[in-house]
Amino acid sequence: MELLRGALTVAWKDVRLELRSREVIASALVFGLIVVVVFNFGLNRAPGSLAPVAPGLLWVAYAFIGVLAMNRAFTRELEHGGLDGLLLAPISRDAVFLGKMLGSLAFMLVIEAILLPVFAVMLDLPTLSPTLGLVILLATVGFATVGTFFAGIAVQTRSREILLPVLFFPVVVPVIIAAVEASALALQGGPMTAVWTRWAPLLLVFDALYLVICPWIFGFVFEG
Amino acid sequence: MAAIAGRPAGKASWQRGLRDARLWLLLITAVLMLVDGYLIFMVAPTDAVLGHVQRIFYVHVPISILSFLGFLICAVAGIGYLIRRTERWDRVAHASAEVGVVFVTLALVTGIIWARPVWNAWWQWEPRLTTTLILWFIYVAYLMIRQYAPTPQQGRTWSAVVGIIGFVDVPIVYYSVQWWQSIHPKQVIGPEAAEGALEPIMAQILVFSLVATLALFTYLLLERVALRGIEDRLSQLRREGNTD
Amino acid sequence: MTELPPTNLPYLFAAFAVVWVVFFIYAAYMSWRRQSAQRELDEMRESNGQESGSGGNDGGG
Repeated sequence: MELLRGALTVAWKDVRLELRSREVIASALVFGLIVVVVFNFGLNRAPGSLAPVAPGLLWVAYAFIGVLAMNRAFTRELEHGGLDGLLLAPISRDAVFLGKMLGSLAFMLVIEAILLPVFAVMLDLPTLSPTLGLVILLATVGFATVGTFFAGIAVQTRSREILLPVLFFPVVVPVIIAAVEASALALQGGPMTAVWTRWAPLLLVFDALYLVICPWIFGFVFEG
Repeated sequence: MAAIAGRPAGKASWQRGLRDARLWLLLITAVLMLVDGYLIFMVAPTDAVLGHVQRIFYVHVPISILSFLGFLICAVAGIGYLIRRTERWDRVAHASAEVGVVFVTLALVTGIIWARPVWNAWWQWEPRLTTTLILWFIYVAYLMIRQYAPTPQQGRTWSAVVGIIGFVDVPIVYYSVQWWQSIHPKQVIGPEAAEGALEPIMAQILVFSLVATLALFTYLLLERVALRGIEDRLSQLRREGNTD
Repeated sequence: MTELPPTNLPYLFAAFAVVWVVFFIYAAYMSWRRQSAQRELDEMRESNGQESGSGGNDGGG
């Protein structure tokens, strides 16, 4: 309970800060659109040829946005010594981790929810379904957990902009694969047995594993 | 660590012993490698399907296996460092990660060279290749983070953490990539044919290669640990010299 | 042995060449760095020892 209260305090602080400045969500939305436009130039050869790669594009855009948002969530703390204040606050490191992770999760879900209809129009996605929503939720939990953890390391270095993606993407590959495959199935609207027997369990296992490991070793990240 | 000047004589002789052991290991490795080369090029039968190029198998497989051993040692030593906080664990973890990266790079390169004539493509997005590439990325990040950390202390802790997470991640990546493939079957001409037709003599030579490569791996690892040890002592002396 | 496709051989040669060159360079580089570090360490220890013997020459270095 103590843990949850601390985590919610940290998350609420980030949400309030974001409501006031709106810098993460606004910039991430524009960035997401730019990613799709740039992909369009890179890939489009014939009309309608984006449909088969649409799930991949969706998740590449989401992953890029995730890196951007989580980097910002920590670099914002650097200004005015917020990070030191956060670490000196009378809450455990687990609570700091969970709070930052919940904050990033909330930002990313909002951004993804706004961008999904836009992507559906631009990429000509066939169907939007509750299954797709669940897949996005599970995958975003994985993104936010791993991303928050590595952002905690990267923010303390000078090369944080490059270090976060270099650490984040290799580790998060299983989530990207599962999310792309599951959303492809969900978007086709056909039989979804593989989503339930294979990709959703993979996402769940990954989320659970990293939700256990990351808070546990997060304490080491901020010592010395 | 603190008393460098007043080091007991026993430790110096122990270190000299270790240096001699490394020299002997280098000698043994060289002999094993020469014999291994003879076995690979003179004794091993030419593969009926793949031809001479199949001989890459005898370096490619041992190198790949030992890169995994390197990362296993790295993860275990990383846990050891996080618990004990002694320099020695970190030296082993760092050295095994670096040697592991060298091995996994060579495994990728030999694999790519072997794939070109056999699969008619340098690269296939196939589970084992993809996983190995991800492994390479993770441990390159491990080495990068040591460079980028503001203090050596942070570099040690962070890299230990990355080594552990990386090792947990690799099996997940492997299974996810495998499932991904099974949903989109592609014609993988794969080395299965070659492995299925592995003659006893081929298997024996592979085991010999594995032993020879293990000797090389151990030599490189010990050499790397020794180098780290000397460099650590040097930088400590420099620090002491500056504070005097 | 001669009936096999000759195009195979350059790949075989390339693979072994890469492996041996990389291993050799890596080992040689480490041993070179270790020796130069060892030499510097010995020099430093020597000068440090003289300093403590003669007493109170503050070390610049």
